[in-house]
Amino acid sequence: MSRFPEIALAAALAALCLSGPAYAGDPAAGEQVFKRCKACHAVGDGAKHRVGPELNELIGRTAGTAEGYRYSSAMEKAGAGGLAWNAETLAKFLDDPKGMVKGTKMSFAGLKKPADIDNVIAYVATFSKPSEAMDAAPKPEDKKTEAAPTEPKEESARAEPVKPAVAAAPAGEGGGLNYHLGRTATAGEIAAWDIDVRPDGVGLPDGSGTVAQGEKLFDAQCSSCHGDFGEAVGRWPVLAGGQGTLKDDRPVKTVGSYWPYLSTVYDYIRRAMPFGNARSLSDDDVYALTAYVLYLNDIVTEEDFELSKANFGTIEMPNAQNFIADDRAEEPQYLANKNNPCMTDCIAGVAKITMHAEVLDVTPDVQDGDDKKPSAGIE
Amino acid sequence: MVERSGNGQSRRGFLKAGLAGGAALAGSLAAGRVLAADDPAITQIQDWNRYSGDGVDAHPYGMPSPFEKDAVRRNVAWLTADPVSSVNFTPLHKLDGIITPNGLCFERHHGGAAVVDPAKHRLMINGLVEKPLVFTMDDLRRFPRVNKIYFLECAANSGMEWRGSQLNGCQFTHGMVHCVMYTGVLLKDILAEAGVKPAGKWVLAEGADSAAMTRSIPMEKALDDCMVAFAMNGEALRVEQGYPVRLVVPGFEGNMWVKWLRRLEVGDEPWEQREETSKYTDLLANGKARHFTWAMDVKSVITNPSPQAPITHGKGRLVLTGLAWSGNGTVARVDISTDGGRNWKPARIDGPSLPMALHRFYYEMDWDGSEMFLQSRAMDEKGFVQPTKQQLRAVRGANSIYHNNGIQTWYVDTNGAAENVEIS
Repeated sequence: MSRFPEIALAAALAALCLSGPAYAGDPAAGEQVFKRCKACHAVGDGAKHRVGPELNELIGRTAGTAEGYRYSSAMEKAGAGGLAWNAETLAKFLDDPKGMVKGTKMSFAGLKKPADIDNVIAYVATFSKPSEAMDAAPKPEDKKTEAAPTEPKEESARAEPVKPAVAAAPAGEGGGLNYHLGRTATAGEIAAWDIDVRPDGVGLPDGSGTVAQGEKLFDAQCSSCHGDFGEAVGRWPVLAGGQGTLKDDRPVKTVGSYWPYLSTVYDYIRRAMPFGNARSLSDDDVYALTAYVLYLNDIVTEEDFELSKANFGTIEMPNAQNFIADDRAEEPQYLANKNNPCMTDCIAGVAKITMHAEVLDVTPDVQDGDDKKPSAGIE
Repeated sequence: MVERSGNGQSRRGFLKAGLAGGAALAGSLAAGRVLAADDPAITQIQDWNRYSGDGVDAHPYGMPSPFEKDAVRRNVAWLTADPVSSVNFTPLHKLDGIITPNGLCFERHHGGAAVVDPAKHRLMINGLVEKPLVFTMDDLRRFPRVNKIYFLECAANSGMEWRGSQLNGCQFTHGMVHCVMYTGVLLKDILAEAGVKPAGKWVLAEGADSAAMTRSIPMEKALDDCMVAFAMNGEALRVEQGYPVRLVVPGFEGNMWVKWLRRLEVGDEPWEQREETSKYTDLLANGKARHFTWAMDVKSVITNPSPQAPITHGKGRLVLTGLAWSGNGTVARVDISTDGGRNWKPARIDGPSLPMALHRFYYEMDWDGSEMFLQSRAMDEKGFVQPTKQQLRAVRGANSIYHNNGIQTWYVDTNGAAENVEIS
């Protein structure tokens, strides 16, 4: 789900009407943001260099080349390395000036809000010629040169594909920004497919549903696989219970015991359930079923509890805090042997068998249909 | 035959019978002696030597020899609730080299294999982009194309072995991996066509199947080496591999390689979809779970001999072979132990050594007919050495399901039969 659906729509419309690229931001809002830049930079009629260079015709300008301005050697070097200013490179620079061009004399720490960055670029771009503004769209070439000053990218021996010469058709007419391939997606098309929901609630549709409504739907459409109480039939996913078992020998991972985000429940039911009949539930149905799954897990306790877009964010999942980052590379078994595998007398004594696959008798093709489930299956 | 027999008694019985003849033959040949009787394979005229075979119009799409009917994918019915949301396994013990034939690449899908009409397939890019776009398959073919060989491994490969040896065959313990050459276009070129906005840090990839499979891909990876591929091993993707187009995420867990790719959304945060929260997270012994464990660790397995591929020729020359791979790049070395990890000897990597592709190794030896505890151990270009299963369990416990790259042990008895075992 686009975080700025109205902007995406506006951009789509703009793309249909104009030949120039649609900037992400709003120039009017950018003018406000630019107040923070004005102490050092001028733009517009008669703008002159101040502490920093003037910014007319900035889009398309090679970094460090505004006539008559004394740049840091770092900025001149970046420009010589191919850095040119466009929406993408400017955004990166404004996000972290010294991170991008190490040694720049611009002492500004950077803009922290992505929207501010988009807006101020849109504002500054209004003082660049449209023909050059068209180049503002990120191109593969830009990406490469932008990386060049800090980390020269290793290129394979294979020659880079030859890029077509300059635009044959204006990018605004439906095609993409570099090769003019594809066409602009319509708002209706995006709405039809973009149904994802994030933990912060972005993407949640309007609507609501109660536990009681969810129970009816669940009994009719879900319980044949997930069981009457979410306990599951056969090896279908268990939805409820298991809280407090994650450290056990046989943990039971359910929505209540394991899932960190409620948004995932809504998103998944909406896109993929019921199994074999996806996309058949209404948004209200999905709220009701999500509420019922919460009820089955004792996360809500009243049958008349109603889950809605408005109160969705108030529900906290019990296991939300128990997810950690990937730290496999720091594990002792890797650190101990890194680059240096043992070659001789690595383990004392002779090897003795401690476990046979056959003993468990779960090898395929001898399975006789009894309840011989693997002790560790796949999910 | 052997591989289908899991019953210890009958399997051993079979092997005994089978080996008696084979060993006698091998022994006599090895000694350079003359057979008592002439070999009828030579002295009798075979049917194929006398009668004409099929014409060129008999098989518009060629299939393997009927004598190779056991080189097939197999599933394990009780692993999952339903074959429509399940997995099958590549017959690694039947293959050689580093390329997996298209029809033998393991399958994993969550709502069955979608049969998508390419004329009606669209790839949309939306979210934090300058221009939301829709591409047809024809559009995708007009981007610059690249060809790359990569392995794809399911994060749950060997997942059934976390608690100890379970499945008797490398097809089942390690068969959720395959390696093909992909043809397609770079994801970064497609993203640039739409123009990623500065705030865009993640890409959500979505499939067109009935699971509408989704994963959040970090932008750094998306702009590095990800591909949008429409061909594998020179021909169109197979249906079960995402025809007409799939995402390729080199070195990362297979679940991220979204098949039947229909949408790419750019966003500033990950979406925390089902397959990256409730699944494909690695539960540790302390109750915490690792999240976004994308890269596949360094790993290897001996494919021959193995439980489905016992030694049938008796003692003497033995070619031991297997596969090694790492999501960190190339495999720098593979070592072999015949004594259960006490002592190791370097194996020989043969064929191309490509980053994030399968590597084929061989270890040629004289087998004296005594029992062996066979193990292989890979080290990748970053210096990561494949750990033992005990080491992994000591750190992670036994409930992780995913990312089990522990060293596999095959016990080979004096008859040449091999078993999946755990050893001290």
